[in-house]
Amino acid sequence: MISKFQIATKNLLRKKVRTLLTLVGIMLSSWVLASLLGFNRGYENALNHDIDNMGYQLMVMAKGCPYEAATLMLQGGTGLRYIERSMIDSIINKPEVDKVTPILMQAYFDPDKGDGGGIAGYFGVEAASFPGMKPFFRFRTGGWFRSETSDEAVMGYEAAELEQREVGDMIMVPEKNVPLKVVGILERTGTQDDGTIFVPLKALQKIAGTDKITTIGIKVKNNTDSAKLENDLYQLPDVQVVSFTQVKQTIMKLISTARVMALSIAIVAILIAMVGVVNTVLMSVLERRQEIGILKTMGAMPGDIFRLVWTETLIICSIGGIAGIGCALLFARGTDVLVRRILPYSPGGGLVSIDGKSVLLTLAIIMVIGLLSGIYPAWQAGRVRPLDSIRSDG
Amino acid sequence: MRRFVLTTISILLFISTWCALPALAAVNCELNNPSSDVPRLFPVSNSFTKTYFSFSQPGKEPLLRKVEARLGGVPVLYAPLNVPYTLYEIYKDKKKIGYIHGVNQKGQYGVIEVFVSLDMHGTIKAFYIQRMAGPWTKKFTSHTFGKQFIGLSLADFELYDTVTCKGTGAVASIINPAPEAMTDFYGLLRALKKNLILMDEFFYSVKR
Repeated sequence: MISKFQIATKNLLRKKVRTLLTLVGIMLSSWVLASLLGFNRGYENALNHDIDNMGYQLMVMAKGCPYEAATLMLQGGTGLRYIERSMIDSIINKPEVDKVTPILMQAYFDPDKGDGGGIAGYFGVEAASFPGMKPFFRFRTGGWFRSETSDEAVMGYEAAELEQREVGDMIMVPEKNVPLKVVGILERTGTQDDGTIFVPLKALQKIAGTDKITTIGIKVKNNTDSAKLENDLYQLPDVQVVSFTQVKQTIMKLISTARVMALSIAIVAILIAMVGVVNTVLMSVLERRQEIGILKTMGAMPGDIFRLVWTETLIICSIGGIAGIGCALLFARGTDVLVRRILPYSPGGGLVSIDGKSVLLTLAIIMVIGLLSGIYPAWQAGRVRPLDSIRSDG
Repeated sequence: MRRFVLTTISILLFISTWCALPALAAVNCELNNPSSDVPRLFPVSNSFTKTYFSFSQPGKEPLLRKVEARLGGVPVLYAPLNVPYTLYEIYKDKKKIGYIHGVNQKGQYGVIEVFVSLDMHGTIKAFYIQRMAGPWTKKFTSHTFGKQFIGLSLADFELYDTVTCKGTGAVASIINPAPEAMTDFYGLLRALKKNLILMDEFFYSVKR
């Protein structure tokens, strides 16, 4: 005996193009929705990964704008204000502190970089304390500086590739015209470190003509109250403390606008798909009024007709939803590239991470919305009066 | 119907693959500001198009070996050859009147990005160093130094051995404005020879 499912499938296949176009509509909305859910998850994961890769959870710097501080940390930027190196002594003995590392950020104008010149950034770090903060660093060639005062540099993967530097080559600090010997090139990390040039702290201090630093990176001991430490650090004179939780919140706030926009697009796409489903199924019902009337004369109850039409909606929504999720998974990398071009700040790693939960949620949303869309056509089909429909011209 | 669906899927897959390509693995040499650089390097032009060529296309492996051989068989003296190259095709009205092409070269303190504009016969019309590091950069980017290359072609560079840095003719008589920067001076000559050989192999000799 032929089942409701088979009848519904046959009905849908009668108008292949119309069914296909409806499927495409649902597929697109499902694709957008799955990608959006994947982006929500992926962006946060990637940001967490970037922040974890900073190696320290807190930064202390001279008072200034927190947004500039965030830019300094994540994108590199010009040195804002300086703090005394002795500030480290006030921090290192706090019970919550595991490790500290002093950093001097310097930026010099390079007139021969890019169109009309550009900024070349340098990170002065201590070979004794900085590598401990970044245990995941791996060298492609070479290693860390031989001493804290040597005119040497360790280059991030991309910085070295861009300048075509190898271990043993020289680079020149613009403005100051100080040559530095490249002693190490890092493996790609997928973070901002790839574009960074690290110089021994004292050597960079000498180049910059200062004995101060711009930042202190602080690694907090496990299972300690970092909020308490943060409050303690705020008691230090003329410094501001930037915790990565704070940075993450700031970036997530900035990105929320883009998320709302994307969500709006997804909602519009879903609404369009809903209208498409209603239109397709309703058209199908209107075209089959006589058939439905005959079914009723043969004993079919309004509930049977309702379920039959609803099954059609269910089939369209399932196939469209699954196809959309498939596209979202298949094109996730492409979506990643597009999103990365649009966003003001993109952390390293995959920005679109579609997991099982996102897949199920997308499918559930599409099915529920699709089934809601099917109620009206199914109800219309259920209330067809047999004799009227059979008498009609069709 | 089936053909339509398959075509659509193929196009989508192609677009996705294209979008998903990682950032070019090796560093490409492009003009920073083509809309102002092209009219400056090719004053008679009024439009241009940007295209790409590389050795990574199928069947180009023998050509790569040939270019390496023409460069003296010492590829280590040059920036990696097997990278995508950007070519600016220059037009006056609808007629193609030449090319602008740049290459990277390993310099003493960083990468050197050097471009030349070429007419349809491969003669240098303009010389432009977009990027160079070192205290002597201004000497190399000066008009006096650049004009020594105007009018030269691959034939002139063929008389000069960029491996031993010896030769005869116009290239051998080019004056180094910064004797303290031999690496960058010879690097520039190597970069130009490489540039002209690439253009010859990919375009001029193909046309002939």
